[in-house]
Amino acid sequence: MAKSSKPLSHPFLFLLVLLAHSAMMLLVACSFGITPEVLKMACAVLTADFVGSIILAIVNREACTVDTVLLLVIGMSTIYQSCFGGLSFAVKHFVFGIAAFVMCQISYAVTRNPYRAERLKPLWYGMFFALVAAIFFLTGSRGIWIDLGPITIQPSEFVKPVFVLICASSVRTQLHKSEIAGIHFVPDNLMLIFCTIVIAALQWWCRDLGSLPTFVAIAGCGILLRFCYLREKISVRLMVFLGACAVMAVVFAWKLAPEYVQARLHSDIWADMSGSGYQQVKALTAIAEGGWFGKGAGNGTLIHVAASRTDIVFSTICEEWGLFTGMMTVVLVLFLPGSILTVPPRSYYHSGLAVGVAAAFIVQMALNIFGSCNVIPFTGVTIPFISQGGSSMLASGILAGFLKAAQAPVLTEKTAPKKEGR
Amino acid sequence: MDFTLLFERYPFFREAATAFVVIFVDICALVILIAAGRERRRGDRRWAKEGRGYMLACAGELYPLGAAEVLIGRHPSADIQFPDTEISRFHALLTLSDGKWRIEDIGAHNGVLVNGRKITKPCTLHLNDSITIGSRRLVVIKGDGKDVA
Amino acid sequence: MAQRQQLRQRPPIPALDVSAPRSMRRAGKWTALFLTAFIIGLIYLGWRLISQSAFYMAKSGQATYGKVTDRTGDVLFDGTQPLNNYEWGHFADVGNLIGDTSGQMSNTVVARNLSDLVNYSFTYGSGADAAVLETTLLHRANRAVYDAYGTKNGTTIAYNWKTGEVYVCVSRPCVDIAQGYAHIAEMAEGSLLCKAFCPTVPGSTQKVSTLLAAYQSAGVDTVNGQQFTCSGSWTNPNGDVIKCHQDYGHGTQDLAAAFANSCNPYFAQLVQSGIVPLSDIITSYTRMGYAVNGEKAEPLNLNGIVIQPASTTLTDKDQFETEWGALGQGKTLVSPFQLMLWQGAIANGTGTAVKPYLLSSKTTADHKQISLASHLHTDQLFTPAAAKAVQEVMTKNAAEHYYVSLGNYTCGVKSGTAQVSDDGRKYENSLLVGYCLDESCPVAFCILIEERESWDITTAQIAKVLLDSLTGSI
Repeated sequence: MAKSSKPLSHPFLFLLVLLAHSAMMLLVACSFGITPEVLKMACAVLTADFVGSIILAIVNREACTVDTVLLLVIGMSTIYQSCFGGLSFAVKHFVFGIAAFVMCQISYAVTRNPYRAERLKPLWYGMFFALVAAIFFLTGSRGIWIDLGPITIQPSEFVKPVFVLICASSVRTQLHKSEIAGIHFVPDNLMLIFCTIVIAALQWWCRDLGSLPTFVAIAGCGILLRFCYLREKISVRLMVFLGACAVMAVVFAWKLAPEYVQARLHSDIWADMSGSGYQQVKALTAIAEGGWFGKGAGNGTLIHVAASRTDIVFSTICEEWGLFTGMMTVVLVLFLPGSILTVPPRSYYHSGLAVGVAAAFIVQMALNIFGSCNVIPFTGVTIPFISQGGSSMLASGILAGFLKAAQAPVLTEKTAPKKEGR
Repeated sequence: MDFTLLFERYPFFREAATAFVVIFVDICALVILIAAGRERRRGDRRWAKEGRGYMLACAGELYPLGAAEVLIGRHPSADIQFPDTEISRFHALLTLSDGKWRIEDIGAHNGVLVNGRKITKPCTLHLNDSITIGSRRLVVIKGDGKDVA
Repeated sequence: MAQRQQLRQRPPIPALDVSAPRSMRRAGKWTALFLTAFIIGLIYLGWRLISQSAFYMAKSGQATYGKVTDRTGDVLFDGTQPLNNYEWGHFADVGNLIGDTSGQMSNTVVARNLSDLVNYSFTYGSGADAAVLETTLLHRANRAVYDAYGTKNGTTIAYNWKTGEVYVCVSRPCVDIAQGYAHIAEMAEGSLLCKAFCPTVPGSTQKVSTLLAAYQSAGVDTVNGQQFTCSGSWTNPNGDVIKCHQDYGHGTQDLAAAFANSCNPYFAQLVQSGIVPLSDIITSYTRMGYAVNGEKAEPLNLNGIVIQPASTTLTDKDQFETEWGALGQGKTLVSPFQLMLWQGAIANGTGTAVKPYLLSSKTTADHKQISLASHLHTDQLFTPAAAKAVQEVMTKNAAEHYYVSLGNYTCGVKSGTAQVSDDGRKYENSLLVGYCLDESCPVAFCILIEERESWDITTAQIAKVLLDSLTGSI
């Protein structure tokens, strides 16, 4: 397979990534002078590019769009995170970035065979319920973090990839129907609905409604694709009906939302600039101050505002590097889910994975960016690979691995056909 | 020349440098897009090899096998759809694994015949095998993959 | 063997089709849908961020501000240098209309248009040049009217009823923004707000509204021919007495005479007699923008400045409060701005006023000049026939009774005396509403002098100053 591909494209791409990072590092060096910190950072980022590309060139050369974008984005975000409000190499962010890259390869290896990935579904269900139990029992009083001393883990982030694995389904699974009391049903679909309810209830319970839209979007896509497989063709009328249902659900949730959510939904940030609207007001002002090309790396002041590296990271980037750069970075991350437009998945399970990942990435980014810019209610979610946060980074890496798997599948199945039959 | 001072004194230089870097990264993004297009062709080639170039032919019509799971039936959502009443809504499923295409009966009323024999378990398909589904006879043929490879 | 032969004879091998089936392409379709939606959102976000960035800067408190000028370029507010650099008292006449960036006044030109005044542009940042907001005011005329008040307090507002430009808007006492707010406790009450925008008791100027309602309900001829007797006071069916300012009464008079005499008993009888049903008066008032009997009415807006709508209580035609309200006393409140607006609709004879505006253009920090002039009309406030009939009565009134004080201007006016009780203290305000029909000075105006005594300057004299200072300058 490798032979049939054009040999130049792969190293050339990684060389470009290396050059892009070098250009950014040059700018940083120009802004801060050539200090040991700058050198350390340059060494780390450029070495990672180099080593990563060599390993990938040797080990596998499949779906290189995902890998290239991942390397580019992780390097860029490390540079951004290191420069916020002054230079200090974000080692932790960088290490987790590398770890995310590795996780991407691992999850690719695990899920590249759609038959095997689906056969492992009981394992995914097990992991799902283990994570749910972890959130329920191990996090502090109705919180979302597990404190392990030096590091804290946010298990709800890891639920996302597992949930995507649960939501995807093959056509064979959909044909496998059970019957109880004369009612035919697909056990897998029932299980998906059950898991969705569990995760929604859990989010409600631990007051982390910010990530609920992400899960709802993943589940929605899972259900939608199943609907597409084995029901009638989606007609315009049906689409309108489903759309109306979704709107009704949103309105219903809006009305029923607890008080603290209601407060967020209806808050006018300009009326309470020093209170609940503080972060957004600062974020918007920072973007205005940044203009097209920013105040320059390290010259930002938004860093003093809470969550400047996570929830309002888009504004922090815009302040120092400009709106143009901020938008471009967001578009680069979009290349990841966008990559499946070029190489379509070749199996039902993989197409489910791909759509689930696209939904997770896009909804999270939309919640973060539009929320911090006061277009929609503000929630505390992260931008994949850009925001600081180990759990989110690793989970996003795993999700990116699914995209890779969908583009370069391996179709081997030694046992399944014998088991299946009719 | 000390750029740090230059940047501090003349913000224009800093903005110009930032613009330059951004444009460079944009070019990088553009190349990735082009590479992604190339990836598509590579994906097609990979598939042509993986699926061994097999297609189904039925009464002059060609049915490509473009995915690892191809559903045959009367239902509109089937990949290969026949409107015949003797064909079940979901009649047969073709799957690809280990480089082999298999066909299995997925609860069809009239069954699936491969080379005239009714199958009871997944059956591996070979070139020129004939599959009978209802009154339709499909033949496994190999497409010319020159355009793809 | 035969089979093989058959194979060889088969026509050319078909080209391999490797496209993914429809069911697989769905994944791409959904992803494309999400991506498109997100990118559209992103484009919207970019547009929103850029267009609102000046607003963010204004709100952040870190911005510097530009200038507000009058129609001739005379500076009315300057954020680029200390206001003390201007001659003493330069800003003293329009301080509570124009306002400043101190945050002490919220309903002013500057406070309501702060984001247009920020020296900031997304491209040039905070280092951009000064933004300039040009108003329609004529500073000279404002100064003249302000000075004409002497020691009296009050407000005058005037606008071009043809174009909508507000020329004069003075409110005394007035804060001098150049002096700052160190002595805010010692400032005269009302210094920090422009009274032209505050509802006040309209007095007999309300008779214009009542007359409009009567004309629309009973017809012009019926009302004009209606005669009532005034004997100095009139007792309604409930036994309440409505007094006339003329102790001996006006005798039997028709409408034109009663309007000129501003006779309370005449108008009270007009309301009570049922010639004009109360429901028609309520309908007419509501159309004009009154909040009748606690109903909600839309506030008016002048380039962001909010003006509370007129309000009154009309419940029973036999009740004193209702009759008193229709005479412009008691619970009836109207802002001078709205009184002026109605005069605009009478002056043009259409019953629809050109909406007043204060800002004519803005020059942004990146040198873009944007016109802010509006050419909007109000809804139909009253019928053209009623407008023309009232115009005739008012013009006649001016010609007969204000010939001396107003000089050669072709005007229509109605005076009024409002009985105000404020914290138990009772006093009378003098009002004059009207318009000038001359081509050289097509303005509608409302003039208010608070606590005017008989030896003080009259509203008509201020009107003369106003018209004199505007003629030839607009």
